[in-house]
Amino acid sequence: MTTSLPLGTVSSSMSGQFGTVLIFVLVGFAFAGIALLVARILRPSNPNPNKLTTYECGELPRGSSWIRFNVRFYLIALFFIVFDVETVFLLPWAVVFRQLYPLPGLGSLVLWDMVIFLGILGLGLAYVWVKGDLNWVKKLMERPDEVVSSDGDEEVAAP
Amino acid sequence: MELLHVNIPNWSDLATHWRPEVMLVGTFLLALLGDLVVRGRRPAVPFTVALVGLTMAGICAVRKLGVEGGTVMGDLVVVDGLAAFFRILFIFTGLATVLFAWTSEEIMGKKRENKGEFFALTVLLTLAACVMAEARDLLMLFLSMEAVGIVSYVMAGYMRGSLRSTEASLKYVIFGAVSSAIMLYGLSLLYGMTGSMQFEGIRAGLQTGDVNAFGLLVAVVLVMAGMSYKIAAVPFHYWAPDVYEGAPTPVSALFSVGPKAAGFALMIRFFYTTLAAGPDANASAGLIAQINWPLLMAVISAATMTYGNLVALRQANVKRMLAYSSIAHVGYLLMGFVLLTDAGLQAILFYLLVYTFMNLGAFFFVVAVNNHLKSEHLDDWVGLGFRMPWAASLMIIFLGSLTGIPPFAGFAAKLYLFTAVMDRQWFWLVIVAGLNSVISLYYYFKVAKAMFLMSPPEGADMSPLKLHWLQYTVLGVLAIPTLALGLFFGRFKGLADRAIEMMTTGL
Repeated sequence: MTTSLPLGTVSSSMSGQFGTVLIFVLVGFAFAGIALLVARILRPSNPNPNKLTTYECGELPRGSSWIRFNVRFYLIALFFIVFDVETVFLLPWAVVFRQLYPLPGLGSLVLWDMVIFLGILGLGLAYVWVKGDLNWVKKLMERPDEVVSSDGDEEVAAP
Repeated sequence: MELLHVNIPNWSDLATHWRPEVMLVGTFLLALLGDLVVRGRRPAVPFTVALVGLTMAGICAVRKLGVEGGTVMGDLVVVDGLAAFFRILFIFTGLATVLFAWTSEEIMGKKRENKGEFFALTVLLTLAACVMAEARDLLMLFLSMEAVGIVSYVMAGYMRGSLRSTEASLKYVIFGAVSSAIMLYGLSLLYGMTGSMQFEGIRAGLQTGDVNAFGLLVAVVLVMAGMSYKIAAVPFHYWAPDVYEGAPTPVSALFSVGPKAAGFALMIRFFYTTLAAGPDANASAGLIAQINWPLLMAVISAATMTYGNLVALRQANVKRMLAYSSIAHVGYLLMGFVLLTDAGLQAILFYLLVYTFMNLGAFFFVVAVNNHLKSEHLDDWVGLGFRMPWAASLMIIFLGSLTGIPPFAGFAAKLYLFTAVMDRQWFWLVIVAGLNSVISLYYYFKVAKAMFLMSPPEGADMSPLKLHWLQYTVLGVLAIPTLALGLFFGRFKGLADRAIEMMTTGL
């Protein structure tokens, strides 16, 4: 059980912790500032417009970036998140597993919890696989014949 | 053992207290797997799995009723009288939805894809709603609400080719995301003020009296906003009519009962435990006095019922009308919250029980009509009483009960709510609620009038419409308690009373 502290103690310790953060921020600014200052004093100054171009960091942008992205990117991003989170869970589990496993009554729980979790995720993977969501190239339209339906004129074909 | 800072979770807790939930998890996974195995071509497989699984979980939940509960998953979740009561309600709702969706053209129509997924998702929504009623920790509260939310977004957009359905889903997602964020902020304030995630711990933290009254007010209002969204109370109701209208009708039926009742269960447990309950009544009264809880709730309640009823008056689309009517019913239900008394909460539970039957019935009738007429407009419903006399008669029962006319269950349910508020001298609220009931009579019986009293235009199709036998069965099963609970409510009211008693006395 977490203990509940009176408000006063929480805030006083909190200000102490934020003091540390403040010092950290100040030192950070000072460090970067001093480095820039020293560089400015030492380096030769020779401005050239070519130095301001995008260089080794990608292509020059063409047109606006406010275009409609293919929804497939989001699907892939979602799958990635799912398995990313899996790793996030697996890692701490693996760290404490050795300590928890010998404990009576807890060992099987700790082991099978993760097995069930992985099983559910495995089912999720099987799901996206069977549904063809892992294929990047897809057929465009799968329902050509019926466009009008129970919803009358409001129905549109899937994009 | 201080290793985990909570009670150590173990298998036996799951087996004794959480058997219905474990069954629901298994049912969901099996339904999904079954759908994959048949490549989505035979929706009967996931349908059967969902049906059997929900039935078994329901039987198990009924048998657990009245059995002493306990905490599961290391104190995150508690199975007590309240949870046991709502669990049965949700599983029943899920079961009725699965059965009726099977006969619905909107779900099972020829060109629908992923029919099997619908049944799996219904099971998942049922499970998430159960957990919502059981959460006793801020973490679980948020997780379960999100679980219900995410499944709801998917189900609202089930008709992928339909603009209305897609719009409903998008609106639901955006409203849901914003209100989740608002609520999360409130929860973080509560945690910061009390240093505890558990509801009891929060109460203990508040009772030390070392809490900024304004901070508490802000936190409570923010949390209340998130929950008001879930139950669609004014002023967080904007999504409800569009979502209910756009989503497939069986899904609207499920939304208007399942997540809403789950929201109420969560509110009861959360606000009662953190603000009202306590060994000494004086301290709890002081807590409520800090934020003038009764006035806040009374105003929300009155605004919600008045808004819902007045806007429902002007609707020509029956589905949209029922959406506004369900907002109005949230207003009535919130009356029980005004004083956080046992009588009020018991009245809420009984009302929710009755509301489940009558509202599901009304929405399911729309499904049945929709299969034939492909329309929810009142103009197209003229003369329907002569084309499907049995089903339309059942619809009259549901409408009468929704209005709250004496022989039906809705009357008994309203009576309990009104008396609970009247006991504490909130007369203006009772008068507002009474006037609202009168208003609602008009629009509910506009439907009855169209079906039975208005003469159809010349040359209109008056051929009798035949319903699927499953539809007659489900409508009948819903109509029986809608009638019977109006006359013999003692036993079921006792059920609701015991559920609250078990919660207030701790298990």
